Amino acid sequence: MTERRIPLVLAILAILGFAYMLLPIVVVVLAGLTAGEFLTFPPQGLSLRWVAAFLSSEKYLSSFFFSFKLALMTMIVSTILGTAAALFLSRTNMVGRAAMRAFFLSPVVLPGVVVGFALFAFYISTGIGLSRTIWGLWIGHILYSTPYVIGTVGAALAAYDTSLEEAARSLGASPWRAFRKVTLPNISQGIQAGSIFAFIVSFGQFEVSLFLSSPNSEPLPIAMYNSLRYQFDPSAAAAGIFAITLVIASVLLTNRLVNLRTLLERRQDGS
Amino acid sequence: MGFVQFKGVTKTFGKSVAVDTMDLDIARGEFFSLLGPSGCGKSTTLRMLAGFVAPSTGSIHVHGRDITRLPPEARDIGIVFQNYAIFPHMTVFDNIAFGLVERGENRADIKRKVDAALDQVGLGGFGERFERQLSGGQKQRVALARVLVIEPEILLLDEPLSALDKKMREEMKFWIKNIQKSVGITTIYVTHDQSEALTMSDRIAVMNQGRILQVGSPVEIYERPNSRFIAEFIGESNLLSGRLTAGGVRVGDTVVPAAQAQGADGAEVALLIRPEQIRLEPVTEGEAPMLTGRVADEVYQGALRRYQVETGGQTVTVEVPNRPDLAQLPPGAEVALYWTPESGVALR
Ligand SMILES: Nc1ncnc2c1ncn2[C@@H]1O[C@H](COP(=O)(O)OP(=O)(O)O)[C@@H](O)[C@H]1O
Ligand SMILES: [Mg+2]
Repeated sequence: MTERRIPLVLAILAILGFAYMLLPIVVVVLAGLTAGEFLTFPPQGLSLRWVAAFLSSEKYLSSFFFSFKLALMTMIVSTILGTAAALFLSRTNMVGRAAMRAFFLSPVVLPGVVVGFALFAFYISTGIGLSRTIWGLWIGHILYSTPYVIGTVGAALAAYDTSLEEAARSLGASPWRAFRKVTLPNISQGIQAGSIFAFIVSFGQFEVSLFLSSPNSEPLPIAMYNSLRYQFDPSAAAAGIFAITLVIASVLLTNRLVNLRTLLERRQDGS
Repeated sequence: MGFVQFKGVTKTFGKSVAVDTMDLDIARGEFFSLLGPSGCGKSTTLRMLAGFVAPSTGSIHVHGRDITRLPPEARDIGIVFQNYAIFPHMTVFDNIAFGLVERGENRADIKRKVDAALDQVGLGGFGERFERQLSGGQKQRVALARVLVIEPEILLLDEPLSALDKKMREEMKFWIKNIQKSVGITTIYVTHDQSEALTMSDRIAVMNQGRILQVGSPVEIYERPNSRFIAEFIGESNLLSGRLTAGGVRVGDTVVPAAQAQGADGAEVALLIRPEQIRLEPVTEGEAPMLTGRVADEVYQGALRRYQVETGGQTVTVEVPNRPDLAQLPPGAEVALYWTPESGVALR
C-alpha cells in the first residue's frame, strides 16, 4: 500500500466538522420543504407549498430583490474601494502602514451591532438625511464588506511580482497603462474572489441592516427575522433556501469562471 | 564625456546607505559591468538608472541630459530582470510586442518586428507559447528580445544568468555578448560572478558597500587590483604580508620586485601573486628564484595540480598545469618559486 492514509482520528474530526457546518443548512432546506403548517424539524412530509408561498409573497420577493440590489451595489463600490486600499497598502512604505491596515480591516472584528449602532447614531445626530434610507444602509454595507476585498486583493498583491509592472513601465507604459495591462490581469482572481465575498457578506448582513433599514425596504435577513417573530411560518425557511441557493450559485459561478480560464489556457498549450 | 553619467549619486533607505556618492562615466556602445558581492548596491544603482527608484542626492545624465526626475517610460532604457519578469498572462509574441504597442506602432510593423526579434534570439515559432511553457534559457531570450525590439539607447541586465544552471550559463554568457556586439547597444551588466564580468565586459566597476572601489578593463582589474578586497574577490590570490622597501616588497628575508610599490619605506603591504602565474621547480644552482619553500601539500585536479608551498611561515598556493614534462614535486620537497616581476603587485 503506497497510498497515503489519513489517520482515523483526523478523518472523524473532519466528518464532524462537515456535519457541524452542513447541518443548519440541511435543517433550513428540509424545514422549508415541509408539507405541514408550522416550522418544524424534522418536516412533516415534503412539499413545495412554502416555496410557492415564498414565490407569491410580495413581501419576501421584494426584500429578496432589495437584498440582491443592495448586495450588487455594495459589491461594486467595495470592490473598487477595497482594491484601491489594498494597492495603497502594498505600495506605500509610510510609517504606520501596519496600523492603517489593521484600521482598514477593523470592521470585520468589530461587532456588527456596534458598527450599525454607530452609523445609526451618526445619521440621526447629524441629521444628514441618511437614516432609514437605502443610501445609509448602502454605506453601512460597504463599510462592512470592503475589508474582505482588501484581504483577498492584498493576498493577491503579496504574491504578485512587482518587477512585472516595472518591466511594463520601462517598455514605455504609463503608470495607468502598466496597471491596467499587467498588474490588473495578474491580480484579477483576487479581485473576483473579493467581490464575491463582498456580495455574500452584504446579502447575509443582519446587525448593520437591523439598525439602518426602514420597514418598507427590508433586506431579506431582516424580513425573515421580522416574519418569524410574529408567526412561526415555514415560508421564512423557504426564503432561506433561495438565499442559500443564491450564495452557492455565486460561489460556483466564480469557481467556474476561474476554472474555465485555466481550461482555455491549457487548450492553447497544444501539449 | 561619458554617455551615461552618475554625478555624486547617493541612495539611502532609512538609515542604511545602499549607494554612496557614486560617480560613473560609461561610454557609448560599451559593455560595462557592475561587479560586487550581494547587497553592495548594484541593483539599486541599476534601478536608479531605469527610473524605478529616485536617488537621494546627486544626478544621472544620459547623452548630457539630466534624466534624474524622468519616469521610467520616458527614459528609453530597457531592462532584463533577474527573474526575467515575462508577463504570465500574455503569449511570447504579446510580451515582445508590448513595447511596440505602447509606442502606437501599427499591426503590420509590430508583426514584422516581433518575428524578426524572435528569429534574432533563436525562438522562431515560439510566439504562441506562454511563460510557463518556457525553459529558463528561453525565458531569458524572450526577456532580451522584448527589450531589444524597441531599440532602446541603453540595455540593463540584472544578474541575468543567476537563475540558470552552469552549462546554460556558460552558453548564454557568450550569446549575450555576441548579441550586444552585433547590436552595438550600450550595456550595463550587474553580476556578483567575477568570471561573467571578466569574460563579457569592456570595463568593470568593482563595488563594495555602496562604493565603487575600482574601474578598469578586465585585465586591469585582474592584474592590477587596487585593494586587497578586489584581489581576493576576483580570481584566486596569494596575499603575502611584507613591508615596502626600495625596489619592491620585503617578504621574510627576501626582497621581491612588485608593481604599485609606492609609499613610505617599511609600510605594511600585501604582495599579490596569482596561483597560475607561479612556476614551481626543484631547487637548483641556476637562475635565482623569487622565493624558496617546501611543498606542504599537493592535490591532483585533473587539468592541474594544486600545491601548497610553505615559505617563511606563510603559505603560497601554486597551480601547475598537468603536463608530463613538468616535474612532480612530492610533499616535503624543497622548491623554488619563479614568476615574472610584473606578476607581483603590492597592495595596502
Ligand atoms: N527598497 C528597499 N528598501 C530598503 N532597503 C533596500 C531596498 N532596496 C535595497 N535595499 C538595501 O540596499 C542595499 C543594496 O541592495 P541591492 O542594490 O539590492 O544590492 P545588490 O544588488 O548588490 O545585491 C542592501 O543592503 C539592501 O538591503
Ligand atoms: Mg541585486
